[in-house]
Amino acid sequence: MSEKSAPDFTKKSRWRISRRQFVKAMVSLGILGTVASFLSLLTSLMPSSKGSQQQGQVDNVFRYGPEKGTWYSDKSGSEVRVEEFDQVGKGAGVLWRGSIPAILIRVDESRLRGTTANGGLLAFASSCTHLCCISTWHLDRPKEDVLFCRCHDGIFDSYDIVKDVMPDGAEYLGAKVIGGPPPRAAPMIPLEIKDGKVSGVPSNLDIYSYCE
Amino acid sequence: MSRSLTTRIKKIYEWIDKRFLVSPLIAKAQRTINFALPSTLTRQNKSRIFWLTYPYYYAGAITAFLAILQGVTGLLLAFNYVPSAVGDPGTPTQAYLSVQNIMRTVPLGALIRGIHQWGANLLVAALVIHAFWAFFRNPYRIGREITWFLGVISLGLALAYSFSGYLLPWDQLGYWAAAISIQIMRAIPLLGDFLAKILLGGTSLSATTLTRIYFYHVSLLPVLALVLVGAHMALVILQGVSEPEEAWKTRIEKQVAPLFGPFFPQQLLPVMIISLVTLGVVLLLGAYAVQIPGEPANKFLTPQFIVPEWYFLWAYGLLKWVGWIYDMVQFVPPAMVFGIDLLSAKVVGILLAAAMFLVLLLMPIIDRGKEVRALRRPLKTAVGVWAIGFLATLTLYALNEILSADLTIPIDNMNLILGCTVITIPVIAAAPTYLILRRHLAKETP
Repeated sequence: MSEKSAPDFTKKSRWRISRRQFVKAMVSLGILGTVASFLSLLTSLMPSSKGSQQQGQVDNVFRYGPEKGTWYSDKSGSEVRVEEFDQVGKGAGVLWRGSIPAILIRVDESRLRGTTANGGLLAFASSCTHLCCISTWHLDRPKEDVLFCRCHDGIFDSYDIVKDVMPDGAEYLGAKVIGGPPPRAAPMIPLEIKDGKVSGVPSNLDIYSYCE
Repeated sequence: MSRSLTTRIKKIYEWIDKRFLVSPLIAKAQRTINFALPSTLTRQNKSRIFWLTYPYYYAGAITAFLAILQGVTGLLLAFNYVPSAVGDPGTPTQAYLSVQNIMRTVPLGALIRGIHQWGANLLVAALVIHAFWAFFRNPYRIGREITWFLGVISLGLALAYSFSGYLLPWDQLGYWAAAISIQIMRAIPLLGDFLAKILLGGTSLSATTLTRIYFYHVSLLPVLALVLVGAHMALVILQGVSEPEEAWKTRIEKQVAPLFGPFFPQQLLPVMIISLVTLGVVLLLGAYAVQIPGEPANKFLTPQFIVPEWYFLWAYGLLKWVGWIYDMVQFVPPAMVFGIDLLSAKVVGILLAAAMFLVLLLMPIIDRGKEVRALRRPLKTAVGVWAIGFLATLTLYALNEILSADLTIPIDNMNLILGCTVITIPVIAAAPTYLILRRHLAKETP
């Protein structure tokens, strides 16, 4: 009984550490902790995730884009009306919901594959799926009915609508890539025409956020 | 008069020396420097090749001089620049207006900005010559690896400098160059989005990005550059300039009297002369060829014929070219490999560019050969020639849209011509280099 109650501190065991070792360990731990706690301040570099900063009410009507030297240059910022797209092949760079650049075109419905056009019109998000430059319609390639990206020559066929998948797994319909480096189709925006005003249907907005 | 001036300077020196005890340090530094920088470099050399290559030895000095000039002009520009990009797309922001202000109303503002702009271009040019020269001269043999590493990292710093500076006016070209770069950064497997958020404040360009880029340009990069380039130059001075192979012969065969003498002050003289010439060139270009910012940045409109600065063209061309290759061989990459985007054209382009930089950085580890003479290194010299050809033709490929419009060649034909050029020209240049040097080597060492 008495042997157990008095542990022998002089006996050297594997787990015994000297005072020096103890102080060393504590000091190192302290220094490491200090450095680590300062490193944690680096989290301030992460941008705050406020989400999309949309001011006030956003409607879904397309508005003409800022491209210069086009038939819609003087209408930049005004609402798109269906009668302005009076002939096949006519297209315009537009802005949807104030932040999503898109291309709206009148198509020849007999040539269209993979979808039907509402009122003969089709809209595609014009941010290139490659590196997010804004694609154009008939500006750089006036003779071809394609969405063309100026940055790395990505080409999307506006007459060939295919199913594709976003990196997050969301499936969508879009204009098929027929040239250049874009990894996936240019997402189509479903249309709605009311009182002559052309607007997009925000059924699945996440699809169009691949450049944010 | 002159006598009293020298005595006065001497007195000031004595005053400083009494307080800071600098004279032994200066004496030691002078001895070290004069000992380390071999006079063979400046010896009169009969070899014609040596005289042909001699000016390239000053590319580093030109770079250093231009870096100082960039510091001075940058400091002056900082007094008038406002790093704010808050505003609607397509409207002039504070940043844009302040650059316009520098160009129009600040006294000598246009000249200062011109010098800064052209200084940056010439600095990169001098640095590229310096780097290629070093590559062929194999100066990283035993003991000089650290100098090489620091040099290659400094090259990266210079590119980061010019990239960040390009965005500051917040005009269309700068904006879109950065917008594309941020997306390229995002495409880096696994780390992309995280890096973009940490370094640039988000996954798309915004006012936050400009604030961060400005901070890098005027605060972070200068500190890094001072430390790294300082160490690079200190090592060169301590270890001595890697001597040109042609200089060895004369030193061994016969002792020739030095042409210029020791580094300080005699060798410094040509450096100062060449610095003055550089200054003249920069002043002329800055005064007469300064580029005014274009339209204000508009995130909804990519400008036509968008090209980055000339020294990034090769990377830009690489991205386009990989896409073209994929088209040619009708290769449709799988969207995901092991759950990450790995084989798409842009990721392959990025990985190729990164690999090239990595190979350059790790040259001292990859290349363990003892031979330093470029003409006796068939494989390495040929690889270098191939790299120059590759970069040059990629640069050309990057201009495909512009060339196609100017020469009125249909774009597909243009791409075919340029794409094949990228494949063939480097090989056409490198293969004979290799074969000739091989034969030359075989003749010399039977």
